Order: sequence, then structure tokens, then C-alpha cells
Amino acid sequence: MLKRIEDWNYYELLSVERTASQDEIWEAYQAALSTYQNGSPALYGLVSEDERGLVLERIQEAFQTLRDPDKRKEYDLALLRHAPYVPPKAPFRRSAGKLMIEEAPPRKGLWARLKRLFVKNP
Amino acid sequence: MDRRIWAIGGGKGGTGKSFVAANLGLHLASLDREVVLIDADLGAPNLHTLLGIKPSHPDLGDFLTGAVPSLEGAAVETPYRKLRLVKGSENILFIANVAHYRKLRLLRQIRQLQAPNVILDLGTGSSFNTLDFFLSANPGVVVTTPEPTSIENTYLFLKSCIMRVLKLYMDHYKIRDLHQKMLDQIEKNSQSLYGFFRSLMESDRSYGTILYRALRTFRPCLVMNKARGPEDVQLGRSVADVARKYLLIDMKYLGVIPFDPDIADSLRALRPYYPDHRNSAAAKALRQMAEELAYSIEFTLRTPPEIRLPDA
Repeated sequence: MLKRIEDWNYYELLSVERTASQDEIWEAYQAALSTYQNGSPALYGLVSEDERGLVLERIQEAFQTLRDPDKRKEYDLALLRHAPYVPPKAPFRRSAGKLMIEEAPPRKGLWARLKRLFVKNP
Repeated sequence: MDRRIWAIGGGKGGTGKSFVAANLGLHLASLDREVVLIDADLGAPNLHTLLGIKPSHPDLGDFLTGAVPSLEGAAVETPYRKLRLVKGSENILFIANVAHYRKLRLLRQIRQLQAPNVILDLGTGSSFNTLDFFLSANPGVVVTTPEPTSIENTYLFLKSCIMRVLKLYMDHYKIRDLHQKMLDQIEKNSQSLYGFFRSLMESDRSYGTILYRALRTFRPCLVMNKARGPEDVQLGRSVADVARKYLLIDMKYLGVIPFDPDIADSLRALRPYYPDHRNSAAAKALRQMAEELAYSIEFTLRTPPEIRLPDA
């Protein structure tokens, strides 16, 4: 499939299988770092400095995601759904002037649970 | 007959193309497999010297001028069992500018040679003659060395191959106006090839698909010669990876041939390297590559781009 470097998924970017072990990911990450390091002869005459910086940034992002089992699971699910994956920036988000915990259970669910506890035949 | 045509090429002189061709041939012949080596370095032939053989007739020039009716007749026996050689011509000025119809005749006869393994030792550079020989072979092996000049020329050689494949397909489908568009875009930056295909897919998806499929059938192999350490092993891997990502081709990295000062000594003594240094690291690397190329199912299934050279 025809893709831009920016559209390569993390596995394609590191040239590893989707079933790669943590050791394989570490090795692929080291290899990718050496390919895209500053002054790398492998890029000579083909890849500009700006492009190199861009790919290196994505490689870091790929490694940070794939080395963490939870993030990797989430990423794999996103790949399966063909949905674009946005790496989480922080566990909190600011909304209407106050901090909210993203993973707090929705209120509707809480009320339904309370109702089930106190009302015998809802 | 199940025939495999190997082409050994590359963009830079002195990377060891003839060394790889000669020693792959010697190794395959030592395994009792019939091999015909063809010195297709039209500008500077010296494969015979690497095998310790003096120049003599008949040679490739005799075939091209018609003095020898068939390429089979120009393939002479060598001191090595099962190995025959079509020597390069001494008449360099004539042969380096070989006419198109003569090149077609040569390509046709290469496919008809009575040997399961035909190895072409190609010249340096990106002339149409060199590219057409490289593209007709399976496997096509690009030999490079760790120097930046060599790597730069490797990318240039690969780009030239890509443009040649696409040009031949454009000619075949009579979409020649796309060629200039491709040339203009390809000069811009490294991702220009992607840009060219993207815009083509948007304007004409069917031609875009045909050309992209043609490009994906170009699957060269890479050998890093004269490697002096583990960083050169990684460098070869990186070059293949960058070619895959930026030139959109499926490139296979075969590995390194370690630097060995005995190679230069063999050359000076006018003796082939492989028979006298079977246990060296370079010979082992060559053996491993030959086995992978000759036996691996991956290479058996690989087919080169279906290029049809025009008769003009």
C-alpha cells in the first residue's frame, strides 16, 4: 500500500512484526536510531535534515508506545479498528475551569447502580 | 530448464562487483552446478583477470559483431570445472556504445543459454544498457561499500532503475507525457516518488496502480562489501531500510562481505580468491549469500519486472 513516512504505523516504522517481543523492539529501536542519527551515512544524498528530524521524532514516539504493554495494547486495538491513534499527553484534561479525571465513571451509570442497590423491583 | 540469471551491479566503481560475480560463479561451479559468467561491463571488462585468465577470442564483441553466431559459442571453458566465461571485448569503444538491436539480441540469447546459472557482471553507472541488463535478471544484486560516495551512488543507481522500469511501462501503455512529470517531481526531494504516485492516483487511479505494481516488482538485493566492523553491518541494514521507505521498493539485505587484504594479494598474483581462501570470513559470507539466492523459496517466487524493451 502506498504510504507517506508520516503514515507508516509504528511497526512499519521500526521494521518489526506486530508480534515482535520487547527485545526485538529494543533492537529495532537501536537500529532505527543508528539509521536516523545526525550525520548518518545511510541518509547521504537521499534524506534531508528536516525529514530526518521528523522521522526520528516518530521513532521515539513509536518506541515509547510499543515498550509499554498497556499503551501497546491500546495502539494495537486502534490499528485493528483503523482508527488514528493519538498518544495520551497527560492523565487529566482541563474542562470548564476545573480538572476532571478522565477515567471517572459516568454519572448515569452511578445512579443506575445506586437504584439497583435500594430499589428491589426497579 | 530452470534458469536463474544473476546480475551484479551498482552505481560506483571499485565496490567489488566483479569480485562478487567471479567468486559467486566459482562457488556455484564448485557445487557441480553449471555456470556461465558474462562480462557485461561494456566499458571496462576485467572479469577474466579476476579468474586468472588471459584475454583471448572469442569474446562478447565477437558475438555482438556476428563473428560468432551465438552467445553459446562465445562462452569458453575455463580451468574450473562447470564454469564457462564470456569474456569482455577488448574493442571497448565499439562495445560500450552497443546499438539497441544488438542489446536486444544479447538479452534474448542470455535467456537461451544452456546453463542453470548465468551471472552477469555489470559495469558502473546508470546507462540504459547497464540498467536493462540489471532489470532483466533475477536476482539483481547491488554491491556497495561503507563510504558515503558509494552509498550516494547506490541510491542514484536505484533511482535510475526505478525511473527506467516506470519509463518502460509508460511507453508500453502509451502514457509518455507522465515521464516528464515524474522527472520534474523526482528532483524535488526524497519523498517525491511518493508525491508522484499520490498525484497520479488522484488523477488516474488505474495507471497509478499499474505503475505502482510495476515498481513493487523491482526487488533488488544489497551486499555491503569491504565491511570493517559491526557498524558497517548495521549500515547495510540501514541503507536497505531507507530504500524501502523512501524509494518504495522491496529491497533485501543479503549481508556483508568482510574486508580481507588477501583479496588484493590474489588480484596481484592473478589468481581467483575463492579456491585458495575457502575458510576465510569473506568466502563464508559469499557462500551464505549464494545459498540464500540459489535455494531460498523467497527468491524462487520472486519475479523481475516484466519489462519489454521497444524494438526501435
